[in-house]
Amino acid sequence: MNGTAVLHSIIDGVLTGSVYALMATGLTLIFGVMNIINVAQGIFVILGAYLSYALSVHLGIDLFVGLAITIPTLFVVGIVVERVFLSRIKGPERVVMSILVTYAISLVIEGVLNIVFSANYVELHAWYVNRSVRVFGIYLPYIYLLGFALAVVLLGALYIMLYRTRFGASVRASLSDQTSAALVGINVRRVSTVCFGLGVAVTAAGGMIYGATNAFNASSSYDLISRLLVIIVLGGMGSIGGALVAGIMMITIEDLVSVVWGPVWSNLAFFLILVAVLSLRPQGLFGKPSVRVA
Amino acid sequence: MTGKRRLFHAFGVVSITLASLATITTSSGASGSGTIAKGQPVLIGASLSLSGDFSGDGDAFQQGYKLWAADQNKKGGLLGHKVDLKIISDASSPTQVVTNYQALISTFHVNLTFGPFSSLLTLPAATAVNRYGYAMVEGAGGAPSIFNAGLHNVFDAALPVANGLVPFAKWLAALPASRRPKTIAYATSTDPFTEPQIPVAEKIIKAAGIKTVYYKTFPAEPSDYTTIADAVAATNAQVVILGSVDVPTVSAFMQAFEQAHYNPKAFIATAGPDQGKTFLSAVGSGNSNGVMVPNAWYGGSSNPESKTMVAEFIKKYGGTPSEVNADVAEAYAVGQVITAAVKATGGFNNAKIITYLHSGVTIQSVLGAVKFNSLGENNQPTAYTFQWQGSKFVEVNPATDPSATKILFPKPAWKN
Amino acid sequence: MLKARNVWWILALVALVLFPLIETNPTYTTIGIFTLIFMGCATSWNMFSGYSGYINLGSAVSYGVGAYTMALLADHLHVPGNGDLFWLIPVGGLAAMIVAVPVGLVALRVRRHTFVVITIAIFFVFQLSAINFSFTGGTSGLQLPLIPWLETNYNKPFYYSALAITVFAALLSVAVRRSRFGLQLLAIRDDEDRAAGLGVKVFAVKLAGFTMSAFAVGMGGALYAVFLGQIYPQFVFDPIFDISIALMSIFGGLGTLTGPLLGALVLESTQQYLTIRFSNGSLYLIVFGALFLVIVLFMPQGIVVYLSDWRSRRAARRVEGARVVVGEAS
Repeated sequence: MNGTAVLHSIIDGVLTGSVYALMATGLTLIFGVMNIINVAQGIFVILGAYLSYALSVHLGIDLFVGLAITIPTLFVVGIVVERVFLSRIKGPERVVMSILVTYAISLVIEGVLNIVFSANYVELHAWYVNRSVRVFGIYLPYIYLLGFALAVVLLGALYIMLYRTRFGASVRASLSDQTSAALVGINVRRVSTVCFGLGVAVTAAGGMIYGATNAFNASSSYDLISRLLVIIVLGGMGSIGGALVAGIMMITIEDLVSVVWGPVWSNLAFFLILVAVLSLRPQGLFGKPSVRVA
Repeated sequence: MTGKRRLFHAFGVVSITLASLATITTSSGASGSGTIAKGQPVLIGASLSLSGDFSGDGDAFQQGYKLWAADQNKKGGLLGHKVDLKIISDASSPTQVVTNYQALISTFHVNLTFGPFSSLLTLPAATAVNRYGYAMVEGAGGAPSIFNAGLHNVFDAALPVANGLVPFAKWLAALPASRRPKTIAYATSTDPFTEPQIPVAEKIIKAAGIKTVYYKTFPAEPSDYTTIADAVAATNAQVVILGSVDVPTVSAFMQAFEQAHYNPKAFIATAGPDQGKTFLSAVGSGNSNGVMVPNAWYGGSSNPESKTMVAEFIKKYGGTPSEVNADVAEAYAVGQVITAAVKATGGFNNAKIITYLHSGVTIQSVLGAVKFNSLGENNQPTAYTFQWQGSKFVEVNPATDPSATKILFPKPAWKN
Repeated sequence: MLKARNVWWILALVALVLFPLIETNPTYTTIGIFTLIFMGCATSWNMFSGYSGYINLGSAVSYGVGAYTMALLADHLHVPGNGDLFWLIPVGGLAAMIVAVPVGLVALRVRRHTFVVITIAIFFVFQLSAINFSFTGGTSGLQLPLIPWLETNYNKPFYYSALAITVFAALLSVAVRRSRFGLQLLAIRDDEDRAAGLGVKVFAVKLAGFTMSAFAVGMGGALYAVFLGQIYPQFVFDPIFDISIALMSIFGGLGTLTGPLLGALVLESTQQYLTIRFSNGSLYLIVFGALFLVIVLFMPQGIVVYLSDWRSRRAARRVEGARVVVGEAS
């Protein structure tokens, strides 16, 4: 182990972590606005990856160009799911019920994906996927750089939308207090639907990068969702910036531990750190101090 | 609190209904003791992971079982009885696998059982099946823990896991000093299938003076493979042995190696490269060139049984011999072992089948000769090393084997 | 005097006791065993998480500790493969309780939302430790002694042990619910700060509830280990278990007495049964998921509350609103 190895692992962590952050952003946005824990987020990521796969294999469309199709498609899927199922959940146990409903939805989607694409692992390919560029003696893979850029662009767009538009103002108002937002004339229902759509739509991008760097099948969603949940709690539920920082932090910590002590301890160390952080700062890194009551 | 009473009512009604429903719909009793009426099919049951973690392999196993059944039926079935397969899914869950085998035996009245996929599910399955006196012939449960369990009814037709890397290790050790690599890296996932293989190989390789520059285990599903792969690449080891259980692990390492412009002279992974088409499509065309895997079977095998099976497979599913998943052959061999046992014992009596399979007989299968020791391990097959050469999957050692192709060494550069 | 509701309890119990005697097919008694293990664990889980509102998504810690205690003790004490193994089941429960104390000391310092995730994180710490340390057998897991009983009677001791665990958990749950301690847990669920203000020793109550609920779950894990004959870290420290237990309780009715029992009974048995009946794994997922979805959307408060509401509406119609029926859950 030496300085370069440590630096290298930090760079790996930041690049990979940003992709996780991208996937987690949707989850935290959905929770923040709607008080819904969307455990189907993992399968939506895989759905996005499979859409990119189908476009690239059958129509020869480039992975990044394909996003112009997959992002809107998943947006629509999100809107439909919200309208048909989630809008029916009401009452005091809303958070808990949302877990049940989205869990059931993810089972159905998993079954459909298994039938359509079979359980054989696939991976996304493009000429740049296995290439890399050498910077200061370290090879930086294009796909991770592109993924990082994509995360920055999409999170930036999301940020501008939230802070520079009228719609964003409504979302932020709903994020902080739904009742007051409704009182000042914000259509909280519409805001919720659009937010769920957006939250699902960003998984198309995350899924594409995930699929280009991992061989996957429908069952891969289980590994994903547990990681994504952990990221948004560490970052503070509802905080988009928090998801970004926590995603990068989680992978960086694991990568550092992996290089310094050995990979087998990486997950264990991460969870121990998570327990410690939450004991000291229960609301997560960027969460609002008073946690919403379910 | 009056509302509660109704709830207890509901609870009681549900229990009683369930109890009576189950009673009406089922009749119990195993059918493992022998005779099947003339004209009746022989029913063979298996539980496979058709969803969940092991679903990739579960699918391939199903193809193998079905292919064998179809072939056997073309030959007139087993002792004149048509072979019917009853395959149910266990969703990769040990709880479900236990229920499934009892259901296969008690509810579906299967005459014989075939094993599930993965060492993790084989043991609970075999323990349950053992109570009924059924034999369990399987092709995917080779972890040492299975054979140490004291079960008398498990027979693994595939290669015992621990010695898989031995031919490769011996080949490395036997290279002339000038060509022999100087350094080697080992990375293995924490899994009962991979972990036992590495120390066996390391012992041989170390004795030949090849220096271990990296030896680490990594979690079964790490969030990020790149750092582990980069750490291996940073050692610049000339040989890499990867303890992997599936395609995603191998493809992630290969991708990271290529991105790091690191190309070991030899690269072998314990599982993944044997998955035929799935492997090729995951790692991308051309990149498989030179990658090796230990196993007992490959699609190009000159074994006549295997040739027939491969031809059948291609007729049904398309592709080339190299693209056939080794799981298919392992499943197919399970069928062949049962065929031999049924023929030799002249019936479907599981007790007789178990005795027969323990009797030291040698059975020919697509995997080659199969012979079980007292623990149910198949110690007969030589472990082979296979290598991807272009789009062909070929046997490369032991070099003494007449059908071995010359090994591609050093490994060619990454392709794309 | 035998009250009407007790009659139904007793009938339900009688039905469960008679089940393996009437239904001798091991397929169904096996489903019965798994279902009862889940019923017991869910009831015990609900006794803390349902009453206090602190959703514990790390209950597999107790389950796994129970299973490993069983396997390690059986090995070290050289317990032969017979009924003696069953005496170790309460020891597994006890071990789970002992482990729950330090876990609770860490996890219960935070409020609900964070608690959920801390329990998940602690769960993974346990699972990964079981994989990485050698005394647990690592990834190869641990073997239990083979029990050489015939298949015709094999399931019965397991079934009745699982039933005993369930009955124990249910009785404890009732006792807690009726006690001052139970009221304190409920007060914490409704408003923790106010409960503290009223003089409830909030932390001590939570810790006691958390520890008590580990006992039956640990026993369930110990029984599971003997029944399967072998344990692997990822199967006893199983995240699916964490989620299933919570899902079953919520599905039946969180914080109610019968909810977890009914939820586990319905979900575990239909899931096992449907899997057997569908040879296509993917189709099964779709059917199970869709069924689940429909039920959840129709009964968003859980089955128990739904039934109770339905009953009360009917009763209200019948006596024209003369009777006011109060649903169990708040």
